[in-house]
Amino acid sequence: MIYLLTAYGFGVAMLGGYLVWSLLRVRELSRKQ
Amino acid sequence: MTNKRLETAAAAAVALMLVAAGFIFLYAPTDALQGPVQRIFYLHVSSAIAAYGCFAVVLLGGIVYLWKENAAADRLARAGAVVGLVFTTVTLVMGMIWAKPIWGTFWTWDARLTSTLVLWIIYAGYLMIRRLSEPGRQAARFAAVVGIFGFIDVPVVHFSVTWWRTQHPGPVVINDALPSQMLVAFFVTMVCTLFLAAVMIAIRYRIEVLTDQAAEKVVVAPIIASSEAGTAR
Repeated sequence: MIYLLTAYGFGVAMLGGYLVWSLLRVRELSRKQ
Repeated sequence: MTNKRLETAAAAAVALMLVAAGFIFLYAPTDALQGPVQRIFYLHVSSAIAAYGCFAVVLLGGIVYLWKENAAADRLARAGAVVGLVFTTVTLVMGMIWAKPIWGTFWTWDARLTSTLVLWIIYAGYLMIRRLSEPGRQAARFAAVVGIFGFIDVPVVHFSVTWWRTQHPGPVVINDALPSQMLVAFFVTMVCTLFLAAVMIAIRYRIEVLTDQAAEKVVVAPIIASSEAGTAR
């Protein structure tokens, strides 16, 4: 079970983290324009 | 695409991934041999397919850029490479975590794992070229060539389990080796993951557009300022 949780924890952190970061980056760059 | 639409698409992608999670953890049956850890399969394989799709975008963007010198194609290729690298990382790391309880080791130099690591290195190299070289035609052309030739590794990764005797299991989906409930959960996860990848590419494309516009301003602003100073004189 620990392997399953670790694997999905990583997947969610990586994909979710990138998605959130990229949305914040778009906002930041749009504000600067 | 406007920022609002991108945020709506991102929210839809998150909602779809939650639906996929429902299929993975509530609908799909537990594997009789491997137990719950087999559920890693659904996102591990879907991420690999999403990465193939992203690198196909890099390939097409590279071809169109070399053919038409279209800046939009180059931006699309850049977006595909970044998102493809994210999905390849997820594939590799989730696979390693799955390998530990099943094979007794996180890593083995078999054909599938090694060719996937090579794929990761190729596109990390592609992005390093973009970051380290002076932005412009030369860098875009060179990166396009790397992106086109780099794609050769995608079929190598995919067919490695049939071309060579590997520790990694062979194709289970096309060989009809999965029960129907597992197949349904897999296809739902794959469709949701592909949608997430498309949304991520669209967002990254917007970042590339805004970054290019900001860079143009930095270059153009001093030229305008100096020409205005010349006119005033």
